[in-house]
Amino acid sequence: MNYKDYVKWERMPSTWCPGCAIGTIFKSLAYTLEKLSVPREELVVVSGIGCSGRAAGYFDGDSVHTTHGRAVAVAEGIKRGNPALKVIVFSGDGDLVGIGGNHFLHTSRRDVDLTVVCVNNGIYGMTGGQMAPTTPPGEKTLTSPRGTAFAPINIQAIATAGPRHFYARASVYQVNHLQQALREAIEWPGFAFVDVMAFCLENFGRRLAFKSGHEMLFKVKADFKINPAPAGRLADNELGVVKHGH
Amino acid sequence: MMRLIMGNEAVALGALRAGMSFFAAYPITPASEIMHLLAEKEGEIVFLHAEDEIAAIHHAIGGSLAGRKAMTSTSGPGMSLKQEGIGLAHMMEVPLVVVDVMRVGPSTGMPTLPSQGDVLQSVHGSHGDYHPIVFYPSSVEECYRVTIEAFNAAEESRSPVVLLSDGFLSHLAETVDLEAVKVEVKPRTLPPLGRGRRHFTGLLAEDGVPRTKDTAYYREWYARVKAKMSAVASSYRFFEYLPNPGAEALLIAYGIAFRVVLPLRREYSLFKPVRMFPLLEDEIRAAAEAHDKVVVVEMNDGQYAGEMRKLLQRDVLSVPILGGDIRLQEIRERLHEL
Repeated sequence: MNYKDYVKWERMPSTWCPGCAIGTIFKSLAYTLEKLSVPREELVVVSGIGCSGRAAGYFDGDSVHTTHGRAVAVAEGIKRGNPALKVIVFSGDGDLVGIGGNHFLHTSRRDVDLTVVCVNNGIYGMTGGQMAPTTPPGEKTLTSPRGTAFAPINIQAIATAGPRHFYARASVYQVNHLQQALREAIEWPGFAFVDVMAFCLENFGRRLAFKSGHEMLFKVKADFKINPAPAGRLADNELGVVKHGH
Repeated sequence: MMRLIMGNEAVALGALRAGMSFFAAYPITPASEIMHLLAEKEGEIVFLHAEDEIAAIHHAIGGSLAGRKAMTSTSGPGMSLKQEGIGLAHMMEVPLVVVDVMRVGPSTGMPTLPSQGDVLQSVHGSHGDYHPIVFYPSSVEECYRVTIEAFNAAEESRSPVVLLSDGFLSHLAETVDLEAVKVEVKPRTLPPLGRGRRHFTGLLAEDGVPRTKDTAYYREWYARVKAKMSAVASSYRFFEYLPNPGAEALLIAYGIAFRVVLPLRREYSLFKPVRMFPLLEDEIRAAAEAHDKVVVVEMNDGQYAGEMRKLLQRDVLSVPILGGDIRLQEIRERLHEL
């Protein structure tokens, strides 16, 4: 199948804003599915709520758009119900590690064979731009008008806590690396979390004086460097794959 | 073969007889024995001890979407958490059975003591308008039989069907001949995931395409789903009516409360709804018409009595026993006070 065959074109244009980062990740996943020749009848994409949550409906396989935070829980049910299915969760950081944090903790602990793609833009975009558990410290948002007082959640530490784990940090700028990470994650026979550094122009960056998605993209480029062979955990500014156990 | 089993065991065994092959739950008194029995079946069925009640119902939704008859069980505090998933299953039209073994609330309340305080939660607990099918058996044999029927109704309606129980019935041990229970088991209705291009969503949608700004479509959709639920419910008219020609009053009681008032059948007519919702409108109206008084005896502060007033459009007396303990002597005295 060509990557275009994984997309429900009749649903386009998407709901995503001009300059949004989600489309790049969506397309990268479609490319990866083509590379891995995943049959449509084996593919199930599951998402939660938020801008990224809308992605499930744009994939041309069976898909489930769940309630806020519950994508991983529903996905685990699907995978255990029929282990032959390739179950991919595609959702945002607020959904996966905020409201859905408990499911992330425990489904990763149970090492269920799922691929979780996290569009990590550091903000609640769909609801207007409120502080997320991933918002960088000091950043002003609608619910942290004096700047976020809290340290962001350490997704890598949670995802790599168990004896068998797969955590990749990728970005919407380094697209080849993103696709490589997605490929490895889908092939990984356990719980694989791909944390994609993204951005939100309309409800975050715009208020921080970014003028375009392009400007925000180059901020991602400046902020992150690929570490092709990390020795242990990734440093905060590194992209790479940390995996062990399978 | 006669066996001595508890209400909770009968629910678990009924689910297995119905072909349930996916069970997810979180431990809670007084529902845990359902989990314990099904944990022994891991391998034959998918068994999942979830991290919380919200996860459990969402696992069950996933299991059902993947092609398995699925169930989750809990008590009131967990039922409150499951309401989000119940709404999702109604919106996505996913068959499922949700067991609520009622205890005294709100909150942690009196965890080991029975109540019937979740009657309205079972039908109005999730936000928005929806029309669930709710059953409530009153004996161990009925726990077994009605669990099978709950799965049948879930399949036919493609919705989450609620099976109520209570802290008394769940631990009540009675002898039952399970093999002698003859109930047809309905097949799966929802084609499993992995067949094509379907999109299931909690948004209002038409053929998988969101229609979130279309009031006219919402109303049309709502009417269709409501009609579907009523049509399916009409083939599950479970109740017990013990008319007493000389009786001035009709007592309506359900679940464990019905068992307790049963010795009053020489003084009163008794009506026990097993299908709690949608209300057995015709049957209850007909029984009520033959009596000067209608009294609802229940282990809550008159939840079903309110429903009966709405249905019958007449005065309905209420004997609210509340949760905790229920004794015939107290009911008898309260009835005489009326």
